[in-house]
This record gives sequence, C-alpha cells and structure tokens, in this order.
Amino acid sequence: MSILFDIMSTAGILFIVSCGLLLIFGVMKIINFAHGGFLTLGGYAPLLITQMGWNPWLGAPLAFAMGLVFGAVVERLVVKPLHARPLDAILATWGLGIIIGQVITLIFGRGVQFVQSPLEGTVHVFGTDYSLYRLALVGLACLVAAGIGVVLNGTRLGLITRAVTMNESLARALGVNSAWVRLSSFAIGAGLACLAGALITPLSSVDPNMGVPWLTNAFMLAMISGTSLVSLALSSVVLGAAQVLISVHVSPILGSLTIVVLGAVALRIRPEGFARG
Amino acid sequence: MVEQLAPTVHAAGTVKPRVPFNPNMLLLIAAAVLLLVSPWVLPDFMQNTLVRACLYAVVAIAVDLLWGYTGILTFGQATFFGIGAYATGLMFTHVGFSPGTIVFALFGGIAVSMAVAGLVGVLSFYPGATPLYASVVSLVLPIVATQIIFSGGTFTGSSSGLSGYESFDLGMHTWLWLCGGFLMLTTVLAMRFVKSDTGRLLIAIRENESRCDYLGINTSRVKIQLLVGLSAISSVAGFLYACYGMVVAPEMAGFQFGTEILIWVALGGRGTILGPVFGTLLIDVSSAYLSGDLPFVWKLLLGLAFVIVIVALPKGLLPAVAQLLGRKKSSTSMDDHGKLLVAEERPLQGLAARGATALSVKGVTRDFGSLSVLRNVNFTAGHGELLSLVGPNGAGKTTLMRCISDGRERTGGEISLNDHPIGKLPPFECVRLGIGRKFQTANVFDELTVLDSLAIARTRLDKPSLWHRTQNVALPSPALNIVRTTGLEPLLGTPCRLLSHGQKQALELAMVLALEPNIVLLDEPTAGLTKPERTAIGQTLISLAREHQMCVVLIEHDLDFVCDISTRVIVLHQGEIVLDGSVADVVHSQLVRDIYAGSAALPSDEEPAKEAKT
Repeated sequence: MSILFDIMSTAGILFIVSCGLLLIFGVMKIINFAHGGFLTLGGYAPLLITQMGWNPWLGAPLAFAMGLVFGAVVERLVVKPLHARPLDAILATWGLGIIIGQVITLIFGRGVQFVQSPLEGTVHVFGTDYSLYRLALVGLACLVAAGIGVVLNGTRLGLITRAVTMNESLARALGVNSAWVRLSSFAIGAGLACLAGALITPLSSVDPNMGVPWLTNAFMLAMISGTSLVSLALSSVVLGAAQVLISVHVSPILGSLTIVVLGAVALRIRPEGFARG
Repeated sequence: MVEQLAPTVHAAGTVKPRVPFNPNMLLLIAAAVLLLVSPWVLPDFMQNTLVRACLYAVVAIAVDLLWGYTGILTFGQATFFGIGAYATGLMFTHVGFSPGTIVFALFGGIAVSMAVAGLVGVLSFYPGATPLYASVVSLVLPIVATQIIFSGGTFTGSSSGLSGYESFDLGMHTWLWLCGGFLMLTTVLAMRFVKSDTGRLLIAIRENESRCDYLGINTSRVKIQLLVGLSAISSVAGFLYACYGMVVAPEMAGFQFGTEILIWVALGGRGTILGPVFGTLLIDVSSAYLSGDLPFVWKLLLGLAFVIVIVALPKGLLPAVAQLLGRKKSSTSMDDHGKLLVAEERPLQGLAARGATALSVKGVTRDFGSLSVLRNVNFTAGHGELLSLVGPNGAGKTTLMRCISDGRERTGGEISLNDHPIGKLPPFECVRLGIGRKFQTANVFDELTVLDSLAIARTRLDKPSLWHRTQNVALPSPALNIVRTTGLEPLLGTPCRLLSHGQKQALELAMVLALEPNIVLLDEPTAGLTKPERTAIGQTLISLAREHQMCVVLIEHDLDFVCDISTRVIVLHQGEIVLDGSVADVVHSQLVRDIYAGSAALPSDEEPAKEAKT
C-alpha cells in the first residue's frame, strides 16, 4: 500500500516540478535551464516565511509571486534576444541558473537549512502510516493542474497562448501580440517553478543547489510530453511509478536514473514526444 | 583527363598579398618558448594550475569541434575525460603501476571511451534526429556515468573517488612541458583539421544539414566518427590528469564539468580553435587565484559574463578582440587561389547506373493526418525526358518531389529510381541511386564560399581529406557550364550569404549537377532570375536531357518557359494527376485553363510580374 502512495506522491511531485518547464517549452520552444535555479529560489521562500515566523502555507504563494516577477525580468533581458537561437537559450538560462545559485549562496550561505512544514506528522490510511504532507502534495498537484487548465482554457490569455503554441506565425498574422504571450508564459513558467520549489522543500531541506538534481528529470518529462499537460500527467505517473518500483526492487541508484534513461530511449523511438493534439 | 582552366580572375581588392610568414607560426613559436621557460619564471602554484588547465583546454578543443564547428551542443565530453581518468585510477589502484598497466590504462581508457562514444553517437545521430535530441543524450551520458561511479563501492571509490595510487615520479616542470606540449600538439592538429576538407564539411553540416543530406552526405556517420575520434583525445587528457594528480573523482565525468567546459568555449570563442584554448587557460588560472579570495562572487561574475557573452557576443571574446584590433579573422580562404577543373567523364556505376526506367512513381499517396496531399499518383519518366510538373499552389508538386527524394516521406505507394525501389531510404541514400534535388528556395551554405560549396557537393565522389584542403574542385561539364554562364566563376572566393538571390539559385543548381546525377529534380530553378539567366538555365536543362540523357523533372510556374523546353507536362491538381501529355495537349486543354490560372492560362498571357522580378 505504501508503495502505491509512494508512486502517487512521486508522480505528483514530478508533475509539480515539471509543469513550469513544460509551459515554457510548449509555448516558446526553448528549454529553460534556469528551471533548477527557479526551483531553488522558490525553496527559499518558505525559509523566509519560517524565519519570519509566519504561517508556513504562505510560502507557496510568495514563491509564485517571486517567480512571476523574476521570470518577467529574465525573459526581457536574456530570453527574448535568443528567440532565434534555441540551443543558445539553453546555455544562457543555464548561466542564469549559476547566477541565481551564487546570489542565494551570498545571501543565505551555502549550508543546508530546514523549513517548517505546513502539515506535520503522518496519517493512518489503509493500514499504513504515511507522511501527511506527501499525500497532500498529490492534491496540490491536482490543484496546480486544474489552475493551469482553467487559465489555458478559460481566459483570453489562455486562448491566445494556445494559439501561439500551435502556430506562432499564424497567430501573429492574426494580430496576436506573441511577445506578450512569450513574456507571460515565461513569467508563469518561472512562477510555477518557484512554487514547485516551495512545495518540495518541506520534504527535505534547502540549499543553493537543491534545484539542479530536479532539472534533468523535469527536462526529460517536458521533452516527452511535448506541449500537453495531460501527457505530462501521464508520463509523471508512468515514469514516477517506474522510478519508485526500480528504486525499491532493484537499486536506488538505478532508480534515480530511470527517468532520464527511459526518457532518452522513448524519445529515440518517438522523437515528437507523446503529446496528442 | 583533367583539363586545367585559366586561373580565376578576382575582383580588385579581393586579392591579398601573400604574407611572408604565417602569424600562426609566430604564435606557435612564442607559445613553445613560453612553455620552455615557464618552470623558471612561474611559481609552483601557477605551474600546478596550468598543468590541469592545459588538459582541460584539450577537452575544450574537442567540445569546440563538436559545438562551435559542427553545431552539436554537447554536455557529455567530460565523461570521456572521466573514463580516461578512471581507467588509469582503477588500473593503478587495483593492479599496480608498471609499464604494462600504463599502456593498458591508456589504451583501455581510449577503447572504452570510443565504444561509449560510438554507442552515444548511434543513439544521438540518425537520419531525422533533432539537434536538441543529441543534447539530451549528451546530458544523460554524464548523469549515468556519475551514478555508475557512485554505485561502484570501494572499487571505484564511490563519491570520494580514488587517490593515493602510485604514478609517474616526474617533476612539476616535466609535467608542465608534457601537458603543455600535448595541448600545443592538439591545437596545431585541430587548426589544421578545421581547415581541411573535412573541417569544411563540418561547417557545412552546421550551416545546413539538410542540404548536406541531399548532397548524398551521410551526416550522421560523419558526426558519429567525429564524436568517436574526439572521445579518444579527451580520454588521453583524462589519462594524463589521473597520472599527474594521482586522484580521480566522479565530478570529472559529470554534468557540471561538462557545462563548465561549454562556458570556457563560449567565452573564448566557439568556432575558433585558439579562443577556447585561451578561454580555458585564462578562466582556469584566474579561478585558481580568485576563487580563494572571492569564493562566490567569482563564480557569480563568471556566470554573468557567460550569460552576457551568449546574449550579446555569441561568437565569444576572441573574435570580438580580434575585430577590435582590426585584424579581420584571417579569411578562411586559401580558396582565393582555388580553381575549377573539369572532372573526368566517367560512366555512372553501381546503384546510380542508368536503369531501364529512370523514375517510376506507382500509387503514391501522402497524407498529413486526415488531409490527403497526394492521392494515387502514377507516372514514369525515362532518360532524356524533360518533364514539367505544373499546377496551382497547393497542388502537391513540392510534396511529390519530397516523396521522390526521401523514402521516409510518402504514406503509401512505390517509387523506384533507376529501377531500384527507394523503400524508406533517407535522402543521402536516394542520392546514391542517382538523384539530385534542387530546393524551391535557394538552399546553400551561408558561411562557405562558392568554391567551398561546390567542393562540399563533390564530397560523395571525391573523398574529403582529414589533413589537406583541396584547392581545385573538379566539376562535371554541366555543373561547370552553369557556373560559367551565370557569372559565378569570378565569385569563387565569395561567401554565399553575399550572393544575390539569382546567384544562389544558380549555385545550388551547380551543386546538384556536381553530384553527377542522372535524375534531376528542380523546384522552380528560375524563380527570381533575369531573362538572360533564365534562357541560359533553359538551354542547360535542354542539354542535360538531350546530350547527357538525364531525366529532368521540373516544377515551374512560368508556362512560357515550360512550353519552350519541356518534352512532356504533368498537371497536378489537388493531389491528383489531371493531365499527362505533350506541351500541345496542355496548351489546348480547357481543363488546365480552368484549374490552373482561370481564363489567363494561355502562355502568351502569362502575367508580366515575373519578368519584373530581376
């Protein structure tokens, strides 16, 4: 039973961690390697809240707001000029990740720090004790997905974003301000990355490099899923399950490689990813 | 028989006086002198840093050849350095230090690196692979390598690596000479290599891989070979590092180190050899001094510099500095002295030998989802035919050409070239069956000169050298004719991006004919050409069909032109052949008049706008 919970919560975490990257990749066709940096940045929001002694639930919204502002600035200064050079955008955003990591180190020190979890303790369900917060993350992942879904399908920004995702030049010809769509997508993607950072820190701890290990998994999931959130949810569940099962039954080291290796193989067989529509 | 032509005439101002001595040679001598005296003038700490930096710089050259020259963004080169280092560390730790183990460690490391590189190459580079996918694989490689080292327990030393094994007992200055010498040798070889035929080919792949593909070049194989060769060099650097430092650690094979190398290359100047070398040496040495005093600020500054250079100076600092100093990057062309020769007439052999039918298209369909662009297209064309495909925009003409030249394109049906079914063959294999394709929009190599482009087109027939730069390009007479009649010959040393639209079209046609095809697909070869140029191309096409007995398939909107030169016309409409007959059949067909251009379909009424496009 606890394995099932592990799979569910791992999938939830993977989804939360990857959705910001997917949004940026889907709309702008660039890989945001600063994603790891944004995750780290978001991780420090709950730390600030903890230090202030505020309600730990405030960490996530604060992180999202930080990401939104920071993402918008970064898009204008770094990403926009690299529109036509997608491989260079990978490098520039990686450099950005280094900058974020170093600035955080200068401010908070390089040590590992702990934050207060909004939900302490365990819950007794179906005969096992399980961490309440990990379970709550499954619900939070659904909330995040629902939130993105509502914005994409229920607002005008969502509509034009979908138009740009499908065919940017056509959307522009129809008078869509695609620069605005790119700016807002990057800002929201960065916001989601920071949000993810804030949500995962209670599971472990924060340090200036905490985001980097997540980056490659998120990157692979986004590549496989192409532009679809539904695909992302599916691949999070499938690859998350594979990761948990291999970690438990074979070896944790192989488990940590599951997503990148399976992802690379899957992309070789199906280069266009597994998105539908 | 190779006939020598009159030397190329250059426009005034492009002729350069020969420099009496090569500035690179001076630089090399200066570097050698510096290296020789350095043990006496540099403090020990500096020497120690330099030894490592020299080895890193060798890996940086490898990364630069892949990324700067060939356009493959790789994070994985560090892993080959790590493999070389670990082969050494493992050997000396577990077996001992002896001449036998030294040789075994060195060559074992190289062999493992090459095997891994081969595997990674086959996975990353296949027909139709995206550049992003190769980067993905190069990212997975160091992650997997690091985890394997972690899981090795006491055998690999896990996260702390291996240290304290016995190694060469050499003084610091000997190591500096050895590693500095290795770097100089690698630099010189790399500089020679990038100026060779093969180096030119790498740039062509970076500039326009699909054009290379349609010139019959197996770009995947070239990239795999390059990756395998460079992995061996990085592995040797790793071997020296492990021998010198007497320590190996998982970070040496890791993703972080892989990206650090990219930073050095980017800052120094990708696409130059000296840039990454200086970049690595300078950054590494200053890091060694500054990271002690300003631990995090230094790395922050490096990150900032990296982002700024990528955004604002994508070519890196060395080219920027060179430009400031007014020394234009020594023009890559020894091509100023290049000439065109007439290639020996030879009968087409092997697969490209003339078949009974040149081109056979049977029941070909092409669907994009639920949209059918081609529906059951059937026709054959013989040698010596000049077949024009006409039809309104969206009729499927270009799609049909794509299906004929790339076996993976069509949804159903059979296509044979010279009696060989193309199956699912990628474009470069179709070229081997005797086909050449010219694209609709001029598709050339922007950064290469005209002569270089023609040389690339000959890659399949005249094997490129790893060492020499072929100065004289032998072309078959039809290709040579195009170059001469369209006035390209005086422009042999001009980069393609400076050519006019019409010149690019002509050059591309010459490149296609340089393949010595016997089936030629031409997608609007005269678009944007002047009337005289068009007449010249028309004459050439007629002679290709009549005298050289080629099968020429042409897409053309200019019906005057079509009627003047075609032996047969096929009219496509909404993905189907509606008429297949002589020029007269088409001219008098009411159906064609209705679908093609409304009532103005008569050749004499062809809109005059085309004439104005000169």
